[in-house]
Amino acid sequence: MEILVLNGIVNGLIVGGIYALIGMSLTLLYGVLRVVNFAHGEFVIGGSFLAYALFSNLGLAPLYSLPVAALAFFALGWGAYYLLLPRLQNSDDPEIMSFLMMYGVSIALAAVMLLIFEADSRSIDYSFTPIAMKVGPIYVSTARIVAFGIVVLLAAALTGFLFRTLPGKALRATIMNPEAIKIVGVDVVKLSAFAFALASAIAGVTGVLVALVFPAFNPFSGAEYSIIGFIVVVLGGLGNPVGALLAGILYGLAEQLATVFLPQAMAPIIGFGILVAVILIRPAGLMGWRAQR
Amino acid sequence: MPPELSGTARSSERAAADRIYYTLAAVIGGIVSIYFLVVPVLDLNIAFHFYLMLWITMASAFNVAAGFSGYMPFGFVAFYGVGAFTTAILVKSLGFPVLLALPFSGAAGVILGLLFAPTLRLSGIYFAIVSLALAGICRLVISNMPENITGGSFGLQLGSRAEPVHSFYVMMAVMLLALGVILWLSRSRLGKALRAVRDDAEAADMMGVNVTRVRLYGWLIAAFFPALCGGVEAWYTNVVDTETAFNTLTTAKTVIYAVAGGLGTVTGPIVGSVVMVWLDELIWRQFPLLNLLILGAATVLLVLFLPRGIVGTVLRWRPEWRRYVP
Repeated sequence: MEILVLNGIVNGLIVGGIYALIGMSLTLLYGVLRVVNFAHGEFVIGGSFLAYALFSNLGLAPLYSLPVAALAFFALGWGAYYLLLPRLQNSDDPEIMSFLMMYGVSIALAAVMLLIFEADSRSIDYSFTPIAMKVGPIYVSTARIVAFGIVVLLAAALTGFLFRTLPGKALRATIMNPEAIKIVGVDVVKLSAFAFALASAIAGVTGVLVALVFPAFNPFSGAEYSIIGFIVVVLGGLGNPVGALLAGILYGLAEQLATVFLPQAMAPIIGFGILVAVILIRPAGLMGWRAQR
Repeated sequence: MPPELSGTARSSERAAADRIYYTLAAVIGGIVSIYFLVVPVLDLNIAFHFYLMLWITMASAFNVAAGFSGYMPFGFVAFYGVGAFTTAILVKSLGFPVLLALPFSGAAGVILGLLFAPTLRLSGIYFAIVSLALAGICRLVISNMPENITGGSFGLQLGSRAEPVHSFYVMMAVMLLALGVILWLSRSRLGKALRAVRDDAEAADMMGVNVTRVRLYGWLIAAFFPALCGGVEAWYTNVVDTETAFNTLTTAKTVIYAVAGGLGTVTGPIVGSVVMVWLDELIWRQFPLLNLLILGAATVLLVLFLPRGIVGTVLRWRPEWRRYVP
């Protein structure tokens, strides 16, 4: 039993790290652009499929796919911003319409992946040597440990970027007060495009890690990651990257520990339950934002 | 002009506008009824028209939540799925006749709506996300129930003989009921209160509107009809399983059809459903593989270029028609 619990904690940290990355990029997007990206999960799975395609066609190991995914998704995000966002501001309620629009993007992206890769579940047939390592009394697959290391590096880099550099500070300032940042003279359009591109790049990289950590993915797994992303974002407070980091790890731990004590199928119910409970009881999330009417 | 005279002039003008409004509603209702009545008689495509009516009903009910009350329930499929399973379980396990089971489906929708009512406190995007999560919970709970009740992953066969023409007319009755209720709602005190609360809850509260109750009534109307739709569709296809009954695409289509027509008017969701279902049918026949992609792209284009929908755009172009168009 103790081994099982320990296993749950270690896996919870690893899976939670992935969720934290998804949540951080999603919350950045929401905070800066007020866009609720329902297609975020498809961006992530797109990264997984990119790694899959690179590995099966060119024999490129998943680790080398990381920079490719980052660049490709950065460019895609930059383009998508100028294609989709400016017109969106014409509608009566841009926030809720962005949700609907990204819902459409999500359906379209899933369909594109379905057309290219078909509906079968895929996994990357790549393994590190040694295949698993001993962490204390339990064994963890090397792929998961490597993925966790990358998650930690990325999260640290992103936090450092947001808090130490000028563009990062500008992003946080936009989240806090979009009007004031315009007065200070920041080019909000360019900054928003950058935020969209950055969030997409993180999502793509996360997708490569998803391919390492989770057994399989298919064109329709995207929605699951979107919903997990939303849960993490709301738990951490909308538009709060540090909150999302903590919430992602907490959620991963809760989910993995739930599978230790409860039947496997119950784990998602726990996740949804946490979301509903948090929104109803403490709508500001772990750290603040106003949610109620 | 003495104030008295202007008062009567305005009220007579309003009465005239109302006359046009109700005449238009009656004409549209008459055309719709006669058209659908003759579908089975003339041996037209029953399946196509059945689903057309289903989507009109779904989109119209969604309109009560989204257009009249200002909530975007992205987990709308929960009501539909629970309605479908209620009818299926009652017919299969308890041997209810289908027509007796259907009201229970509607009731199940209302009960689910009551259970979800605390979420009405939430604003915009929070409400949408929670609604999505609640629909996920409904699907998981039902698919994890014992197999002898819900049929597990194989789903439930209703077992009764499929009666497409009967279920077609029942669907039609449900649709006409929904349209009637929404026509009433759009001119009723409750409908006005709902719109007032949507636009400014605090001001409505100041004017003596019971905000919580008004929102709840609107929400329950929106929950009742999709549950009925689920029940009738279960009867029509004779089989229910969690994958199709709680398919997110059901929500997606409902939202898209309603938005395509224009939220907030009675005719909007009808126009939207007719146009989009017809387009969907055309596309489906030509390129079955590309269907999902086109649905997604259509949604994006709709939001970008026609965010107010067909009827909404016309009314924006000719605001003076607003008082005549149902």
